[in-house]
Amino acid sequence: MTQRAFHPLVKLLLDGDITLADLPADLRAEGEEALRLLGAIDRTPVQFPGMTQRVMQAVAQRPSRERTLWHRIVEPREVRVRFRPWLLAPALAAAAAFVIWLGRPAPVATPTAVTVRFVLTAPDAREVTVAGTFNQWDSHATPLVRTGSTGVWTATITLPAGQHQYAFVVDGQRWVPDPAAPAVDDGFGRRNSVLTL
Amino acid sequence: MRPETVGDGEIVRAVLAGDRERYAQLVERYRDRYARYAARMLGSADAAEDAVQDAFVRAYDQLAQCKDPNKFVGWFFLILRNRCFAERRRNRNSAPLDAADTVAAVERADSGTETAERRRALQHALLELTPDQREVFVLKHVEGLSYGEIAERLSTSVASLKMRMHRAYDKLREELREDT
Amino acid sequence: MIAALALPLALLAMQQGIPDRLAGRVSPEIAALVHELGTAAAARGLPIDPLIQKAIEGSAKGIPAERVAMALRVVATQLDTAAGALRDAGFAGDTVAIAAGAFALTAGLTGRDIAQLARSGAQPSEVIVGLRVAGTLVALGVPPAETVALVSATLQSGRPAGDLLALPGQVQAQMAKGIRPAQAAAGLARAAAAQGRRGPPPARPQPPPHPVPPPHP
Repeated sequence: MTQRAFHPLVKLLLDGDITLADLPADLRAEGEEALRLLGAIDRTPVQFPGMTQRVMQAVAQRPSRERTLWHRIVEPREVRVRFRPWLLAPALAAAAAFVIWLGRPAPVATPTAVTVRFVLTAPDAREVTVAGTFNQWDSHATPLVRTGSTGVWTATITLPAGQHQYAFVVDGQRWVPDPAAPAVDDGFGRRNSVLTL
Repeated sequence: MRPETVGDGEIVRAVLAGDRERYAQLVERYRDRYARYAARMLGSADAAEDAVQDAFVRAYDQLAQCKDPNKFVGWFFLILRNRCFAERRRNRNSAPLDAADTVAAVERADSGTETAERRRALQHALLELTPDQREVFVLKHVEGLSYGEIAERLSTSVASLKMRMHRAYDKLREELREDT
Repeated sequence: MIAALALPLALLAMQQGIPDRLAGRVSPEIAALVHELGTAAAARGLPIDPLIQKAIEGSAKGIPAERVAMALRVVATQLDTAAGALRDAGFAGDTVAIAAGAFALTAGLTGRDIAQLARSGAQPSEVIVGLRVAGTLVALGVPPAETVALVSATLQSGRPAGDLLALPGQVQAQMAKGIRPAQAAAGLARAAAAQGRRGPPPARPQPPPHPVPPPHP
């Protein structure tokens, strides 16, 4: 506490819990000083008339929603999504990833093929592919496509029902498991992501 | 306040379905609501305008992650809040208050220069607080929210808010004393 | 070679298959090791595909040969362990089931866990899905005990395979709300057990009966 600290009762005054009349006489002066402080608060409304136009101009440059992954969800009930809260610091890269299951047939019989969309957020990447048991771990076979300027990469492929392991390959050399998917030891000191269809 | 004929939730859902232009309705509705909060948090209307604009664009980009479209404004506030907190504190020497002073001068032409000077001094002092302290002060004393309302909005407790606020009071007193 | 005629058919197929799949993808020494381990595995009725996959994976990732060799031996051991566990459980499974069991081991379950799941009394095709789902749940962070309880309960409740496959997603959804994986699994297990006693809820449309899988050779 500093020497300039307000008396606790004066703080109650500042909070609006008591009035100046409630303060003992020896605190009256301090109370008036506190009220002068509050009186200096600028409550003038601030307005931004041109804001709407500028926002909509920026928004117009975004890719249309039809191409973003959320619009493609046909039956939300069957979608399994896990995502990280959006990251504010641009220095954090390649953190959030999604796997979306699309077009899952009705659970009458075990489906033989399932369409899967892989999504990785990697704003600083120049190239992203997905490699796994379904493509012989070929890091060139299944490229993801970058959508818009937000650094989201996606690829949609059809996989046979069964067990698959995979990882993303960033810029041809960095193997990155899907942080939002279950992960197992790959036997080489790293982790593979698991897709059980 | 004009009657809201269309709820926020409906507009959000329309935008997510591809009707981009309807986002302008949300911007119109809320562009000034937190303008003052941003101005007091950042110390200038210019910085506030950047922050609010940025927040609206970010909110558009992340719209699908708005868990409850009917509560768009609360979610938007958090985006703006984070943007304000991320802003580096301006250099005290860089005269950040011109625009705010202009507005103050237009609105309160009859008040003396002493009032304007005290306003400036308090705004400077506010910038000496931590963002958390400044925020609780602005939300309660500028925006007029109760501790309970602030606690709900920031998902924290009234007790911790009061602690923050009381430290803010002391720091402000110290700052203002030094200036005189 | 005349001696080759006496070998099981699977082994012959493997001898042809391995070189094709590994050609150009792995070094000669790794290919030789896969061949050696694969031969032994096939002779014991174990799947060889997991070995081939692991060798290709290691090469694609640029892993040094000694490390790949170590990993291949681990895979071979896991296949063996899984097969033994299924046998102990009296489970008439095939190489697909063994591979599923080996995956469960990779994820962190034990042979005993696999045997317990195999004893659930469900159809073999569902046990296979159950093993895969169990491995996936452990990979999500559900402890083995809760995983086995949940998958067993679901298998025993007679629900369709689609419900098994939905379990990891359900656990993840709860984890996103801050519920610990063990708790999420325990809750789902209680629901599954209750379901098993009551039978399927009337509100849900009844799926057509599953086609009976052909008897295993």
